[in-house]
Amino acid sequence: MQGVRQRLTLSYTVALALSLLVFGALLYVERRTSAAREREEQLGARLLAEGDLIRKVIEETGRSLPRVVLVQPGISNPADSTYELIPDVRRFFDGMQDFLFVMDPAGRLLYVSFEAANLDPEALSRVKQALLRQPITRREGRLQLDEDGEPFRFLIDTIGGGTAREVRSFLVAARPEGPGMAPNQLVLSMLVVAPFVLFASAMLGYWMAGRALAPLDLIVREVEAIQDGRSLHRRLAVPTEDDEFRRLGVTLNAMLGRVERSFQALRRFTADASHELKTPLMVLRAGVERSLTHPEAPDEVIDTLDETLRQINGMTEMVTNLLTLARSDEGRSSLVVAETDLVPLMSEAAETAEILGEPQGVTVSVALPELPLIAMVEGGRIRQLLLNLVTNAIKYTPRGGEVLLTLATEGDQAVLSVRDTGIGIAPGDVDHVFERFWQADPARTRSGDRPGTGLGLAIVQWVVDAHGGSIAVQSRPGRGSTFTVTLPLGTTPIA
Amino acid sequence: MKLLVVEDDRTVGQYIKRGLEEVQYIVEWVADGSEALEMISVTTYDLVILDLRLPGMTGLEVLRTLRDRGHTMPVLMLTAQDSVEFKVDALRAGADDYVTKPFAFEELLARIEALSRRPRQISSRVLTVADLELDMATREVHRGDQSIELTPKEYTVLEYLMRHQGRVMSRTLITEYAWDYHFDPGTNIVDVVINRLRKKVDAGFGQKLLHTVRGIGYVVKG
Repeated sequence: MQGVRQRLTLSYTVALALSLLVFGALLYVERRTSAAREREEQLGARLLAEGDLIRKVIEETGRSLPRVVLVQPGISNPADSTYELIPDVRRFFDGMQDFLFVMDPAGRLLYVSFEAANLDPEALSRVKQALLRQPITRREGRLQLDEDGEPFRFLIDTIGGGTAREVRSFLVAARPEGPGMAPNQLVLSMLVVAPFVLFASAMLGYWMAGRALAPLDLIVREVEAIQDGRSLHRRLAVPTEDDEFRRLGVTLNAMLGRVERSFQALRRFTADASHELKTPLMVLRAGVERSLTHPEAPDEVIDTLDETLRQINGMTEMVTNLLTLARSDEGRSSLVVAETDLVPLMSEAAETAEILGEPQGVTVSVALPELPLIAMVEGGRIRQLLLNLVTNAIKYTPRGGEVLLTLATEGDQAVLSVRDTGIGIAPGDVDHVFERFWQADPARTRSGDRPGTGLGLAIVQWVVDAHGGSIAVQSRPGRGSTFTVTLPLGTTPIA
Repeated sequence: MKLLVVEDDRTVGQYIKRGLEEVQYIVEWVADGSEALEMISVTTYDLVILDLRLPGMTGLEVLRTLRDRGHTMPVLMLTAQDSVEFKVDALRAGADDYVTKPFAFEELLARIEALSRRPRQISSRVLTVADLELDMATREVHRGDQSIELTPKEYTVLEYLMRHQGRVMSRTLITEYAWDYHFDPGTNIVDVVINRLRKKVDAGFGQKLLHTVRGIGYVVKG
């Protein structure tokens, strides 16, 4: 549940971050191009305005004054004479912010603005060439004036005829400014704001995901509360809104209904099977036992009847065990516990083991407490458990081996252990020995032994569970196995 | 001592009736619950053996009716169900004990004796075969003037054979008496016990009391 909630929040936040990123990038590019365009437009307009002003100043001056150009004759050679604009006009032009070049009809530069004076001769000649071309009317263009940096934008205009014949044309130029600050500031603002936006929306997303998943959480808890056959009658509270959760609840309830019906069928079967299987077994048993104990029964008849009785007992045991396990699957127990001394049970198991071990050449030792060890258990079941364990121990221990039984208390628990020096259990099999009908590799069992029903250890496991205890197996192939059963002494059994 | 057996299965009913009659009980058998109630109302029984599943009235209904009418004799329930719910229901309804089917006759007998609180139909608590004596109260065993120490299983097997002295008891019968029908170790565990008993009971005595019968069972006789 938590996982889904976190994943939802994470994917939501990642999606939002990606959207923010794409949005920011697009915005940045757009802002950048439009800022450049604006700059160009502004620059063009400025050059136009400057051009108009310059033209106006020269024409006005030409109209009001006899000349606009001052000629200072060269001392030795008239070709060296200096031509320049009259001071009033020059001063006015000095106040212009952009590059300005003014040329007379002879191709002489009458005025070069202050900044432009620093240009290298090559750039200056490019300006001259531009001015010398015969323009029909005013012309705009771009011109590289220095090595680095963007080309300058320029405007050339011709002052034809009229009063100011001394000036032929002029060029005003300015460099477009570098990228404006606006887009960079935008990026900075976004970088500052984005984490807060992301964090806030992640929190919101987490809360929303939690809210959306809350009904699911409730359903999970309700389903978890249905543990076994006894709580199967319960149903989930179905949400009132007609949404996916309602459908899930309804579906689960329908499933619970089917499960409950099959459990009831199983329960009925268990009860019926007890009667249907055990009553004929009782009838069989009654007949066989009567004949078997009849004073005049011939030996051959006794022989046959004895084997029949043994088969009936085996079958009864099997039916009883299957029904016991079926009931435990339903979550119902057949235990009736009482205060029981475990010492006599253990000593009976030890004596049985010893009797079983004698023909097999297996020695049995037992370590018992001297005082009674009272536990709340069903004595018959513990006895069955112990007999199953010792039978197995003897069965899988070769001649000359040993079986050791111990009983002790540890805190508020009784610890019963059956250790053997037998063939052991293959590591891969340890997890399977308690499974129903599981049988070890037949090659590993001693020939001549009857195979068990395969339910012995399953029943052992059930008895332990029903008493709220635990069982552990330690085994090394070729070295032996130890089954350790731990049972609570005085507490009420769980099952 | 008079017993009523209520069991709808004829074979089982007859088996219980004949078996109990062999040990000197007076037994009547009916197959039906309402018939049982009629008989109880006219005759006094010392104990009732009542099957749980009966046609018509169930065993539990018969038991409740019987207790409602003020009958207090011990009631032993027979059931095929080995469940806590049943046991609790039966005990609440006033049953004194229950036996789960299928049961060995010895088991039924033991429960009846426990409920009727009277010793077995044997005049003495001491079983005797020739000069072998077994005291069921003290669990002491003597041969002549010699005391014999037996382990619990050896004692149980000997007691069972002496109780049925002169009769051949099969291995399965002995096994299920000394352990129970749940226990089938797959080997002839009884042979080992009998061997041990022979060493303790017969060795050194001229007269052998424990006899093997053609590999099918054992008998104790003088």
